[in-house]
Amino acid sequence: MLDPRTKLALTFYGAIIIIMSSSLKYLGFEAGILIIWIIIYRQGLIYLRWLKLVLPMSLFFGVITWWTAGLMAGEIAALKLLTLTTIFFVFFLFQEPEDLANSLVKAKMPYPIAFVMAASLQFVPVINRRAKAVIDAQRSRGIPIYPGWASFRHYPAFLMPLLIQTFQMAEDLAEAMEARGFSRPGRTFYKEYQLKILDWVLIAGGLPGLLGYFYILDLCQ
Amino acid sequence: MAFIKIETEKLGYAYANSANAKISWVLKDLNLEITAKDYLLICGPSGCGKSTLLRTFNGLIPHFYHGTFRGQVKVAGLITAKHSVAAIFDKVGLLFQNPETQLFNSTVAKEIIFGLESLGLSRKKIKARLEDTTKQLAITNLLSKIPQKLSGGQQQLVALAVILALKPAIILLDEPYSNLDPANADKLRNLLKSIHQQGTGIVICEHRLACTLPDATRLMLLHQGKIEQDGSPQKLINSLFSFHALELPLAVKVARKLKLNPAPLDTASLQKIISRNKLPIELRTIPPSHDPVKKARPLLEVKGLSFLPKKKAVLKDISFKLFAGECMAIVGPNGAGKTTLIKNIMGLNRSHKGRIQIKGQDINEQKVSQRAGQIGIAFQNPDNQFFKLTVKEEIEVGAKILNRFDKKWIAWLINLFCLHPLLERSPFTLSGGEKKRVAFAAALAAKPIIFIMDEPTAGQDAFFRHSLIKLIKQLKSLELGILLITHDLAFAESSAGRWLVLNNGQAAFPGDPWQIMENKKIMGQAGLKATDSFQLFGNKNA
Repeated sequence: MLDPRTKLALTFYGAIIIIMSSSLKYLGFEAGILIIWIIIYRQGLIYLRWLKLVLPMSLFFGVITWWTAGLMAGEIAALKLLTLTTIFFVFFLFQEPEDLANSLVKAKMPYPIAFVMAASLQFVPVINRRAKAVIDAQRSRGIPIYPGWASFRHYPAFLMPLLIQTFQMAEDLAEAMEARGFSRPGRTFYKEYQLKILDWVLIAGGLPGLLGYFYILDLCQ
Repeated sequence: MAFIKIETEKLGYAYANSANAKISWVLKDLNLEITAKDYLLICGPSGCGKSTLLRTFNGLIPHFYHGTFRGQVKVAGLITAKHSVAAIFDKVGLLFQNPETQLFNSTVAKEIIFGLESLGLSRKKIKARLEDTTKQLAITNLLSKIPQKLSGGQQQLVALAVILALKPAIILLDEPYSNLDPANADKLRNLLKSIHQQGTGIVICEHRLACTLPDATRLMLLHQGKIEQDGSPQKLINSLFSFHALELPLAVKVARKLKLNPAPLDTASLQKIISRNKLPIELRTIPPSHDPVKKARPLLEVKGLSFLPKKKAVLKDISFKLFAGECMAIVGPNGAGKTTLIKNIMGLNRSHKGRIQIKGQDINEQKVSQRAGQIGIAFQNPDNQFFKLTVKEEIEVGAKILNRFDKKWIAWLINLFCLHPLLERSPFTLSGGEKKRVAFAAALAAKPIIFIMDEPTAGQDAFFRHSLIKLIKQLKSLELGILLITHDLAFAESSAGRWLVLNNGQAAFPGDPWQIMENKKIMGQAGLKATDSFQLFGNKNA
């Protein structure tokens, strides 16, 4: 099993490859590898659900780029953003946030920063549930909250309760963490985080690997 | 651990800063001492300062809340104002009211380990405590589960495990029963009893006295920030509770009426010492069995409704009728599908089979906005709907959008729910009970013919419950059909003439509350327990 830091380093290498790729062909190839990986691990449905969120964002980004820099640039920008977010989706699919946070603490990241980052991720599904509850409550009394411009003027009915609840939840979370000794000095870690030989090989081997990939791309062109 | 105690000296607290001239003290000069021998029940009406008091015991007040703090609190000799929360969190553990927001790790195991890591324990000790605690609470099977995806009852157990693992001398619990169904409440009650017997102090704030009073060794009544009474429950029950914001267990009411000494604190103890025919019959709760279940067309008819998301049967073949001027309760344990059913009726979920009719008209193809004119729903959490600056605007907004605004009707509702003093206030600043009343008025503002209330009594005091029973009577007199969704059977018995038991998505038995409670098989399968009144007095013919 790889150390979370190794997985993070490999993800960053992958992200660099995606950022540097400047043709639809290569970006398509990289996205294809990630999607095959997602399918092999049977996470396709979760990915599709997640795509529903990310796809409009990528398309919007692509349209803006098309408008300012042409069609090809727009297509590349949209696919690049989609592939880039997909690689981090894959990373978090195989990496529990607390393990990442704890291993980063081992690498001298301040504990409060690492843990708050990790704990925030736990609350994404909770906020999602609250958002659905707000929509249900408002629609039940005749306030039409649907995606699109038609109900745009009613969005405060969705955003206000959700924002207030999110702030309240953040307060509750901070209180709960403090009540469990979050800021107490001398914390130990149940799980040991140690970079093994394979981790070092992959972290160190990733850099020449990156250079090799770009060299091959160069040859192909 | 018995030497660890909590001591307060002239403790006062106000949420406002002292710069504010009109300071309103939530706690006023409290002097008390709590040891690990105590099983202390703190009761009092909503807003009397119970939750605030608990937060002073573990130092969250004054370190986390920056109001005005005076006097002092000592925990194991440490003055909380001078020591951080983290320095005393292993001496007194606090279980918050809402378990969902206090669980923030990706698995149950990590949730329990978090506090032990904060203590700086070795791996070996952490492992041992993790195993001991999960065995004690029988939650070993949950260790790899995601806390946010557990049921409410399981989340409550995990939150308790998190605290127990720290081995505190005293555990503080803030309304732990408010969202639990009878089966989960019983489980928690037995656990707390055994934890106390093993030498850990329990301090519990709770409205549901029937779950706590029989086990408590000490009772404290808090009123307007002051301790009105403090002593053993046996000594106090005859002098206490002069105002009705406390819902006394029925056994205690009987004991007081018959002047029994010592007074039994629960139904089982009372039944041991007195026969049924000597019980004061006037204390029996009689369900409104005279509800006008007319032979005429029902207001709402649900026929063979099924909801099967992801091929999982969440609702299976549900059928029932609701008539004008009737209140019917849908009762069942947590996760039975009660809220899902009302979402299907409202059109928020799309049913896979079955028909829904209002006054004989099929509404299956109607949009939510069309149904909203005829059905008003008050969901459990009013905070999900508030977005206007004043209560008045909040009540009117739905009716105006639906073009069903009627000034006279709104004025009548404001009067009915006693909302006049609140009209210009922001809905966000109201108390829990006030928010519920605003949400009820908002749900009724568009003049619906069917009114649905989802767990209206959760976390509310007896004063609110009694007012709600009267309100339901008044609404019934307007020929409204009322659906009451609840696991609070005592409340359902007082206000609903018919019950529909829902368990695992299946409706077991629509009928008379006493008939249902007599059916031990259905009650047992649904994890429900007959009300105290039914247990003591039996059915109508007894």
